[in-house]
Amino acid sequence: MTTTVQLFITCIIDTIYPETGEAVVRILEKAGARVSFPPNQTCCGQPAFNAGLRAQARKMATQTIQAFEPYPGPVVVPSGSCAAMIRHTYAELFAEDPEWLQRASTLASRTYEFSEFLVDKLGVTDLGASYEGKLTYHSSCHLLRGMGVDRQPRALLAAVHNAEFVELPNTADCCGFGGIFSIEHPEISDAMLERKIENLEKSGAPIVVSCDAGCVTNINGGLHRKHKNQRAVHIADILDKV
Amino acid sequence: MANEFHAHIKTSLADANLQLALDANSEKRIKVRQIAFESLPNPQQLRMRAHDVRARVIDHLDSYLEQFITHALDNGIVIHHAVDAHQAIEIVSEIAFKQGAKLIAKAKTMVSEEIKLNHALEKQGFQVVETDLGEYIVQLRGEAPSHIITPAVHLRRQDVGKLFEDKLGLPYTEDISLMTNAARHTLRQIFLDADIGISGVNFGVAETGTICVVTNEGNGRMVTTVPRTHIALMGIERIVPTMDDLALMLSLLPRSATGQKLSVYTSLIMSPRRADDPDGPQERHIILVDNGRLKVRDSELREILFCIRCGSCLNACPVFREIGGHAYVGKDGKGSTYPGPVGSVLAPALFGQDEYGHLARASSLCGACKEACPVDIDLPKLLLRVRAGIGVNQPRNIAKPNPPNMLAMGLSLFTLAATSPRRFAFAQRMVGIFGTISTMITKGDPWIHLPAFSGWGYSKDFPSPAANSFRTRYRTQVKHEVYEETDLPPHSDSARDNSPEPDVSSHYDEDLVAIFANELQALGGKFRISSTEEVWQPILEILQSHGIHEILAWNEDTLPDMLLRKLYEAGIQIIFPTSENIRENSQVRAGLSGTAGAIAETGSILILGGPGRPLTASLLPEIHIAILREKDIFMQLSQLVKLEGIKQAPAAVLISGPSRTADIEMTLTIGVHGPGELDIICLRDNHANVAMDNRL
Repeated sequence: MTTTVQLFITCIIDTIYPETGEAVVRILEKAGARVSFPPNQTCCGQPAFNAGLRAQARKMATQTIQAFEPYPGPVVVPSGSCAAMIRHTYAELFAEDPEWLQRASTLASRTYEFSEFLVDKLGVTDLGASYEGKLTYHSSCHLLRGMGVDRQPRALLAAVHNAEFVELPNTADCCGFGGIFSIEHPEISDAMLERKIENLEKSGAPIVVSCDAGCVTNINGGLHRKHKNQRAVHIADILDKV
Repeated sequence: MANEFHAHIKTSLADANLQLALDANSEKRIKVRQIAFESLPNPQQLRMRAHDVRARVIDHLDSYLEQFITHALDNGIVIHHAVDAHQAIEIVSEIAFKQGAKLIAKAKTMVSEEIKLNHALEKQGFQVVETDLGEYIVQLRGEAPSHIITPAVHLRRQDVGKLFEDKLGLPYTEDISLMTNAARHTLRQIFLDADIGISGVNFGVAETGTICVVTNEGNGRMVTTVPRTHIALMGIERIVPTMDDLALMLSLLPRSATGQKLSVYTSLIMSPRRADDPDGPQERHIILVDNGRLKVRDSELREILFCIRCGSCLNACPVFREIGGHAYVGKDGKGSTYPGPVGSVLAPALFGQDEYGHLARASSLCGACKEACPVDIDLPKLLLRVRAGIGVNQPRNIAKPNPPNMLAMGLSLFTLAATSPRRFAFAQRMVGIFGTISTMITKGDPWIHLPAFSGWGYSKDFPSPAANSFRTRYRTQVKHEVYEETDLPPHSDSARDNSPEPDVSSHYDEDLVAIFANELQALGGKFRISSTEEVWQPILEILQSHGIHEILAWNEDTLPDMLLRKLYEAGIQIIFPTSENIRENSQVRAGLSGTAGAIAETGSILILGGPGRPLTASLLPEIHIAILREKDIFMQLSQLVKLEGIKQAPAAVLISGPSRTADIEMTLTIGVHGPGELDIICLRDNHANVAMDNRL
């Protein structure tokens, strides 16, 4: 039986990185799934939630829940922090609203992060991807600590043909993004990013892979401003290379 | 955002010395904690158990407190209740006035920092001296601690050298052991002269009324043993139900705080000095301080009361690492007693959302704090509640968040767009056009250079939004959607580990003595084996090798037969220390005691106070020699805390190696207020078991 996955593309990939979104679709299809894109999806509500604006976050969360309700099957999210938002944080958001709590938990129970879904649910690691050169991996905070997903993206990267995988020193340290944190406290965010970049330089890899477009945007934004040659890429962009 | 906070952040980031100190702190503390946790059989399960214990305590705080108070009163301790800081201060000064006290020696207590006790007492004419080395340093500088475990973590040795030159008149030095020695010397007199000793409380045990005070330098033992009166300041949430629970907490607290299996001194205090005890304070008081805690318990921030004050969330936090403890200030610019992740919840909870709520916004929510927390407090969740304006007087339904205006406006626009797919698509088209134009202006560079005031533009460029969003492109490529029911197994991480408690019985086959010896030596202690008859010989050797001719010793009834006589015949003067004669004997360089037990896996010995067993013998001298019977060695702390003797002793102490500090640049220095040399002589014969059975 072919699994049909409901793709939650996330607002960042949707708006800034559509090619990454298309890579996600190709990879899921290559791994044997059929991909559906529920059209009413927008944003999971995390930016407002993290800012403390829960009333607004609830509006976006209900929008998201409703957008996926008509579409059965697993919901796949190519972002650790958006997946963690749905899976864990919606419960906090709807703690005092039994009806929406129930609907949120139904969505949470079928929501998966992209790499987690490929490895744990589809049982795929080798997607036939090939990349010549050194790669390293940044374990995004919400993916690693919020969802406990680490082994899966590493398995996927280990299967990339011709690539030389090197470890990123202190990979589990935050890159300084934190959503609205990076705007409210740019000085601290920058100091944290400086360390990430230093570690990236130590790793010797020109490419750092992440499962979260937020981290990718943050790390690249700093690398570009500081005239560095390394780049951060979303894992789908690597797995899509043949 | 509070401007004062922002100003402090910028100052901290620009302070190169501070940055070096904070880097060193994080790197070292994270590493030693990790290593220490590796020695636990199932650390994750222990964290969950500890979380459940703390949750139970806070759920039933009233009844556990009542139990604790009943037992403490039975033990002869005076109990006071302080609703707020003002009352707590009044109680302390009333006791001090009644005693005609002049000098007060303090061990580190965060509650006293919280209520600003020193300042209040000094205003009333008392001399108050902090005796923890780090806290002594910040007191001399007129500062507050910058870390709840290592108060002077923000300073380098040069700062301390200069400070001691200015304030103590010492020749300038950068030698940390010289500085430590100078502090030891100055503070030794303070301990002996102090009328009152004030300590904090790490844990109060409900089933026994015992209080547990953990220190490394020995100052905690000093202030709870030597002065006539001991006052313990205790936050009302610091309860654990049983001695077993205490053992669990002690397996986590020092590991999390300093990477030690146990701190050097774990004092278990039951009662004041009784008629037949040689030493110990005549009066012991416990002041139970609420100061907002009951209100926090009834709020959605209650989980922050689970905290056991190990400081590991500070060490793990990437934001604390950048800005340090002194940067965490209230709206008025005054420092928060509690910094870091825990402080960013605790300060607004205890002292007001308006005053401290902004602290919770300085977090990337990376979760390193939760991961480091030994009682698994969900700090990101609590930080987010504070951001949402949820607080002690602000339940969820009336909570008002206070994000910066510009941010709130921007997010309102975003929400407006994101709550309608059509508006969202329209907004995407708009930013797409903006991106296209921007790329045209920059001649093909797909990066936008935003101004610094935007926040993002301070140090990062922003990628141009795509001309056509994913959804637009998808619509043109995909013709139809397929729906299908599928069954999926549950998530692997959804179920919390609910397996039964681990078997705490020993799972090692190795010789307990060998394990004990290894651990003790790793802590810097010395280990020897002897027969009971000949035990005087190694003791004499130790004394002679140091040229020592007198010793503070326990009563002969508590030591192997003939031991003291043999030493006496060999020319050693034997002194039995008591509270009355301790001043004239405070310079004696060696002390001799028995032990009631030992823990192999931590290299610790247990000493019980009581008749014939002066606690000062193991505390004041430079060298402590302790006699241990082989059969008294247990594998684990949880086995040892079940000993009846602990409840019968006025005070007990677990000693894990020689006294130490790492308060200056985290450089380990051995021999602070307690002994700098610890010699354990293990009696390994059957005779020993018979000879001392009824004595310890």
